[in-house]
Amino acid sequence: MSAAVPAPDGDLVDRYRARVGSGVDELVAASGVRPGHAQVAEALAAMGLGGLLAARAEARRLVHDDGIYYGGPGRGEPSPGGPLTKAPGGGALREDSHAWRLDPVPVVLDSAQWERLERGLEQRAILLDALLADAYGPRRFVREGLVPPEVILGHPGFLRAADGVRTIPGERQLVLVATDLARDAAGNWTVFADRTGNPSGSGYAMANRRITTRVMASLHRAHSLSRMRGFFHAMSDALRQISPTGADVPRVVLLSPGTASETAYEQGFLATLLGFPLVEAEDLTVRDASVWLRVGDRTDRVDVVLRRVDADWCDPLDLRPESQLGLPGLVEATRLGHLAVANPLGAGLLENAGLLPFLPGVARAVLGTDLELPVAQTWWCGDDASRSHVLASLDQLVIKPIARGARSATRYGWLLSNAERTALADRIAAEPWRWVGQEPLPMSTAPVVTARGLEPRRFVLRTFGVLAGDSYTFLPGGLGRVGADMDAHVVANRVGALAKDVWVLAPDEPELTSIEPAGTSRLRVVRAPRSRGTAPRVADNLFWAGRYLERAEGTTRLLRVTDDLVEDYGSRPGTPGFATMTALLGATAAVTGRAVPDAGGPGAGGTDLTGRLEWLRDLVTDRWSPGTLAFAADRFRAAAREVRDQLASDVWNALGRIERLLAELPPNEQLQPLLSDLQGAYLAVEGVLAESMMRDATFGFLDAGVRIERAHLTVRLLRSTVAVERSTVVDGQVAEAVLDVGESIITYRRRAAVGDGTDRPVASALALLLAEPVNPRSVLWQLRRLADDLVLIDDSELAARTRGLIGQIAGADVEAQASDHAALAATLSRLDTDLQELASSIAERHFHRKAPQRPLLHYWAPAWQKP
Amino acid sequence: MAEAVTPQTEDDYQPRRYRVSHRTRYGYDRDVELCYERGMLRLRDTPTQRVVSTAVTISPEAGYRSDHVDHFGNHAAYIEVRTPHRTLDVALLTEVEVAWPQTDAASLDQWTVGSVGALVRALDPLQFVTYAGPSPLVGAVAEVAAFGAGVLHPDRPLGAALLDLVHAIHDGFAFTRGATNVGTSLLELLELRAGVCQDFTHLAIGALRAFGVPARYVSGYLETLPPPGRPKLVGSDATHAWVSVPLPDGRWIDIDPTNNQFADSRYIVSAWGRDFGDVSPLKGVLFTTSTSSTLDVAVDVTRL
Repeated sequence: MSAAVPAPDGDLVDRYRARVGSGVDELVAASGVRPGHAQVAEALAAMGLGGLLAARAEARRLVHDDGIYYGGPGRGEPSPGGPLTKAPGGGALREDSHAWRLDPVPVVLDSAQWERLERGLEQRAILLDALLADAYGPRRFVREGLVPPEVILGHPGFLRAADGVRTIPGERQLVLVATDLARDAAGNWTVFADRTGNPSGSGYAMANRRITTRVMASLHRAHSLSRMRGFFHAMSDALRQISPTGADVPRVVLLSPGTASETAYEQGFLATLLGFPLVEAEDLTVRDASVWLRVGDRTDRVDVVLRRVDADWCDPLDLRPESQLGLPGLVEATRLGHLAVANPLGAGLLENAGLLPFLPGVARAVLGTDLELPVAQTWWCGDDASRSHVLASLDQLVIKPIARGARSATRYGWLLSNAERTALADRIAAEPWRWVGQEPLPMSTAPVVTARGLEPRRFVLRTFGVLAGDSYTFLPGGLGRVGADMDAHVVANRVGALAKDVWVLAPDEPELTSIEPAGTSRLRVVRAPRSRGTAPRVADNLFWAGRYLERAEGTTRLLRVTDDLVEDYGSRPGTPGFATMTALLGATAAVTGRAVPDAGGPGAGGTDLTGRLEWLRDLVTDRWSPGTLAFAADRFRAAAREVRDQLASDVWNALGRIERLLAELPPNEQLQPLLSDLQGAYLAVEGVLAESMMRDATFGFLDAGVRIERAHLTVRLLRSTVAVERSTVVDGQVAEAVLDVGESIITYRRRAAVGDGTDRPVASALALLLAEPVNPRSVLWQLRRLADDLVLIDDSELAARTRGLIGQIAGADVEAQASDHAALAATLSRLDTDLQELASSIAERHFHRKAPQRPLLHYWAPAWQKP
Repeated sequence: MAEAVTPQTEDDYQPRRYRVSHRTRYGYDRDVELCYERGMLRLRDTPTQRVVSTAVTISPEAGYRSDHVDHFGNHAAYIEVRTPHRTLDVALLTEVEVAWPQTDAASLDQWTVGSVGALVRALDPLQFVTYAGPSPLVGAVAEVAAFGAGVLHPDRPLGAALLDLVHAIHDGFAFTRGATNVGTSLLELLELRAGVCQDFTHLAIGALRAFGVPARYVSGYLETLPPPGRPKLVGSDATHAWVSVPLPDGRWIDIDPTNNQFADSRYIVSAWGRDFGDVSPLKGVLFTTSTSSTLDVAVDVTRL
């Protein structure tokens, strides 16, 4: 992309208009561009196709660097905690099939148009709230015939366990709302679906904005946009305000189903934007029908849960018994007013296409007005006349079940075969109340950057609202999506839709205020209750993130030196260099746990250079085998994703670079340049962490992982090298190689040159890497840092144990040990064991997971019973 | 529940008072650290019964308990047990006054299988949809509808049709404890031709709903008598289940497919819902490393 020099292209937009034809488009009109879009068109023309393609590539890179994804972990990607399965084809490279896909050209809405839309959305949210309160309360709308009872009581989203629960103080119960819209033939924004269960996408919209404004910087500079930040502030406020407990500063958590969730990226991003901890069921417990956050050996009361777990899965006691994603007693906590959940359990009922035909009537009855926003015309098949119409027009309608589910996908009548249509008609006839037919919306198109120029694709908009006092406030714009190709009528992420940023132009304001739009810069000091301590799951992941990070970095250093030796001496058997190489290959095998292939075995004198190089190469790229760099990188990423909200965002940047490096190694290329780049990238990650993290328990666990791992790697390296008897010449070379791995060779040479310390390389390696108090690579240094970390995590007992180890090492007579290989080996083995025990103690004391959770059904049904 | 039910007599409609003891003991091979239970630990008052007293004992003692009236009007209890334990006892001891009117099947024949649904819907659309629609354990299954079609017909008078249905189940299925569990589907039941009261009740409900007749699941107890000349054994009774159908005049009529009869004053109601899932007497979620559990249930229905 660096090659693409933007060449202005005055015809770009004209060619696009020709492709659009007669439909409604977000950029162009029948002649010229849409009113108010002249600047956009000019900017696109100025960038030219080359510039746009460069922007697209840049957007992809940013997505990659930030680790933005949608959908499950990539095919064959290790799922954290789960078994590692090898992908078909077993490639060593990460697949990007789940990377977030973003088109760089934003869709621009003028402020008048947006204000109109916003008013309609607000009215709709108020109406949906009224429906929610009624459905789980008096059910007046059903009794009075405004809504057929099947649509409420027959809907799987109607949670009887949540009936009568009204937790949130104040008039409104619906906290979050999202609306799916597209334009009708006349260009009016028209609703085709509501999202009220746990609406997702606002975080992705924010991510889109960050990237789009960077890659389309000139276009961005030419426009004054309504900012998005304020919406997330409003969301934080709303979540605090729905607390039913009267706590001065309510504690809010974002409950995630875990990193295997489709929208896991967004959950972590939102938690950070909102300033609430990201938790999983494992981190919470229910006591006295209240929810508590487990932090260290203490628990803190939780007042509000922002859930990203589907309602059904939120409580294995009252809802799905097999769920491990929720908490037994959560429903009871809400019933008793001990906890508010957003959205309330059961709000998914409103995502019900069966309601659409009846909303105008409810609006007139409840609000005394008509619906402001048009809705795609919908017929509920439970009504005889409507059913007849739907059955007669199956080939022209979108057929939707009133509840989404595995067996009940939306169908597009015109895409069905005759047989499929007949089968569908039979299903509708059997249970008509479960189905609606909906008039397909023509939808507008929006330009998408392709190698063939700008292409029109159908466009849908998801808007986001949040409760604000008695009404709702909306994210200006929303999440735009366009179809996967020019013909696609279905615009959804799972079928390859691309995202688009949606710009709402700020209303005209005096020049001064438009520089810093009101509301974005106000200083906000909300003192969230800080939970001192760390949830066991979080602590566990931080610790392992630290270990895998250091394992990757340490192994990279070792591989650099070993590979260098193989390149230099691999074909010169009999030389001391060859013997040194063999020793380092053995050390590499010992440290990584990967056996050296027989042909080039450490003991063998074979000259299979290619075999050795291939073995080293596998150690870098084979992501399926523990001990390799790629494996450690995957595991680090998996652990880091689990604690995404705890880590600085720059970490993902550096990680993105590492992934690219690992993925881009060309065959038959030398490893040195790659290893050197990798080492730099790992240092960058460690630098970000060291320079950006508060020195609290979070840092303590992460750094403890780093220190334990580095100490461990160093001890193993020393044990497999300098503790082995060799000839003096080889001994010296091996020791120098080890000092090189340990980044201490310069110090050694400098000290040797001035006669400071010992000039025996083995003793020097030991002195510098084991017991040197001022060398940040020595074991002693790691243990000192570890003791500090243990103080941060408030574990004085293990800190004292660590200091005991420090005392032993500091007091050891290195000179004496260096000359007695057997005694040295024994000492290092003991140290190795001590370190392992220390790591186990940290795990036992701080990563204590809850006992496994099991449903216990009634005795007619002891599903879990092995007598 | 089947064998020891004596044939229905006039006397069975006399008002009476029962003491019901329902004890459940769970055993585990390792400590349960935490346990949450949801149970129907208080019988509901109904037009045919009045609850006089209720006492619940939980051991180890519950760390927290709350009660509410659920969507169906049942008394649902929420319990947390936080004392580590290998045995959990939940004992319900209740006294209840029961008096059922005698059911005159002929009086139901003013309605037909085909007419009752629309009339009930007009009276109370919410009740109708709740109990006429499919529910998690009694879905719309073609085979169940076919079974119903062998017995029911839209033109058939309601009283006669209900009796036909319970006869067909009683005669066509063996009462066999252990033949089924809660995971057994109605489809499997139709093949097994054997089950317990929960299965038969679900089958009857499914058949009725297939014909547009609302039906609910009633859980409770039934007084049984020992075989002649033998003493009644302690703990020998069991929980029971039967079907209840709403009538266009606002009454509900209870019928027992397991024992082939309308309910009488020996029938004690605990709770009702769309199917077993709504009224499970006791269910829970445990946190434990234990991998096996044992269960003892003892029910005694004593006439006072």
